Amino acid sequence: MKKSLFQEFFKGFWEILPPFRLVLGLCPTLAVTTLAENGLGMGIATTFVLFFSNILIASLKSVIPKKVRIAAFVIIIATFVVVVELVMKAYFFPISQKLGLFIPLIVVNCIILGRAEAFASKNSVLRSAADGLGVGLGFTMSLVLISSIRELLGQGTIFGFGVMWSGFEPFGFMAQAPGAFVSLGMILALINLVPKKL
Amino acid sequence: MEYIVLAVNAILVKNILLAQYLGNCPFMGVSKKTDTAAGMGMAVIFVMTFATFITWFVHYYFLVTFNIEYLQTIVFILVIAALVQLIEMFLKKSVPALYRSLGIFLPLITTNCAILGVAVLVITKDFSFLQSIMYAFFSGIGFALALVIFAGIRERFEISHIPAAFKDMSIALITAGIIAMAFYGFKGLDTSLKSILIK
Amino acid sequence: MIKEYLKMIIVLTLIATVCGFLLSAVKTFTFERIEEQILVNVKGPALKNVLNQATNNPINDRLEIELDGISHTVFIGKKDDRLYAIAFESTGAGFGGDIGVMIGIDIRKSTLSGIGILTHQETPGLGSRISETSFTDKFKGRSVNDNFKVKKDEGAIDAISGATNSSRGVCLATEKGVVLYSKLKAEILKKIKKRSNKK
Repeated sequence: MKKSLFQEFFKGFWEILPPFRLVLGLCPTLAVTTLAENGLGMGIATTFVLFFSNILIASLKSVIPKKVRIAAFVIIIATFVVVVELVMKAYFFPISQKLGLFIPLIVVNCIILGRAEAFASKNSVLRSAADGLGVGLGFTMSLVLISSIRELLGQGTIFGFGVMWSGFEPFGFMAQAPGAFVSLGMILALINLVPKKL
Repeated sequence: MEYIVLAVNAILVKNILLAQYLGNCPFMGVSKKTDTAAGMGMAVIFVMTFATFITWFVHYYFLVTFNIEYLQTIVFILVIAALVQLIEMFLKKSVPALYRSLGIFLPLITTNCAILGVAVLVITKDFSFLQSIMYAFFSGIGFALALVIFAGIRERFEISHIPAAFKDMSIALITAGIIAMAFYGFKGLDTSLKSILIK
Repeated sequence: MIKEYLKMIIVLTLIATVCGFLLSAVKTFTFERIEEQILVNVKGPALKNVLNQATNNPINDRLEIELDGISHTVFIGKKDDRLYAIAFESTGAGFGGDIGVMIGIDIRKSTLSGIGILTHQETPGLGSRISETSFTDKFKGRSVNDNFKVKKDEGAIDAISGATNSSRGVCLATEKGVVLYSKLKAEILKKIKKRSNKK
């Protein structure tokens, strides 16, 4: 049974929601989620790369020889990553400084190569675009969720706005690496409680 | 002396997995058994050192010379991918014994962000050639150490009772968090060592 | 067989070429903006703070001064078209790594016109408080001959509670900066004179 375009788009929001359902792309999920703003920035950058690389790979799928497909995918993905790197430096400089090393590392985010191999190389351009955008936005959503929780508990703010009561003592643990692992594990357990098919 | 500080920093204080969040996919993926974890650890130490060795030269003698540093990401990833392929072919032909133990991990390593991460990191940190190689080597050891410790704990999950929702990834992440907390205790060790050893 | 290989090579070369062209186009398009953004965003806010009385644009009026083979960028602050203060960068080791500090010095009074934190990797919520003005203001107006150490080390600066090492890093950077200033002062004045004579 083929899914409608709409379903292809929305599966990224729940059914294969990264990084919870698809346990891929953990490094950025753990590393940049100290502040909600960083999570959002990382999510959008990843969505951009995923969307365009999916489109390009789907449209070139008949030309690229099977044996060198991974190399071709990597070149295409890396190109878009460099585009994102440059554009972010030129127009969103402060956030690109905060994400630092993790922008070039979008190249090795397994979600992108995973979608290229598992979806874009087998489906039409339109479907791949819907898939890329859906998975990308799902990833952005997850990053914003995790980073909001960590920012709220770790610094008492969300997107830089103070929302906790005045005597709130920030829970420094959440802003550090251990907090990243534990909070991701907890959210994953919560999501596991809800069935995959709604 | 400087390299002792660097080693302590890379292995314990800024452990690449537990404090710098690099290479978490294989960390979760191949940590179910101690011996596979050890194999992966060895492969990472080897490839990381070798890849940094090559990318350092590529950066300073190719990218900088032609003033195209902005292509760093794309060039590095291609160099690493090609390198991994070459190592695989070389080991298969010449050192079959080593290939049998490391071979299956090699293809996985290309997408291990720790390799690319360290290669880029030594450039942004302005490390000298020797510093870069040392840093990559020690980071690899740090990776292997964390991976083996983690796998040792994870093996015990099979005989423990874990609530259904926490099974597999979830409990693994929380365990990683607790190990990261233990490693957090090393923080500041390198700066104090530095002040004792150097000066 | 040969045809297949040929196709592989041609396709990969074509993809790489197109990507290369695309990237160089994006690079040319964003180049100037990136340069400008680096100055404005990294140095700008700190400069505005440490040279708060300047009526000129210190970024446009910067000087490059060489000392022992290292080039230092010195930003010039003018009030009513006359030199009153300079600012430059200095670093000191903190808890999580090097802390980059912009040091402003009032040339007429030989006091600090202020300091601003440029880069740091200190613990968020604790050491990161060194960037807050409540801490950096403790340096403002002090003579360049002051003892820039935390009170624990018998100096004059109140460290942030729970972040002594981070505070020490800032003090260290300031100490280094003041020393650098005494070495650079003559050279700076000479260069500025030369420049105003040219006009």
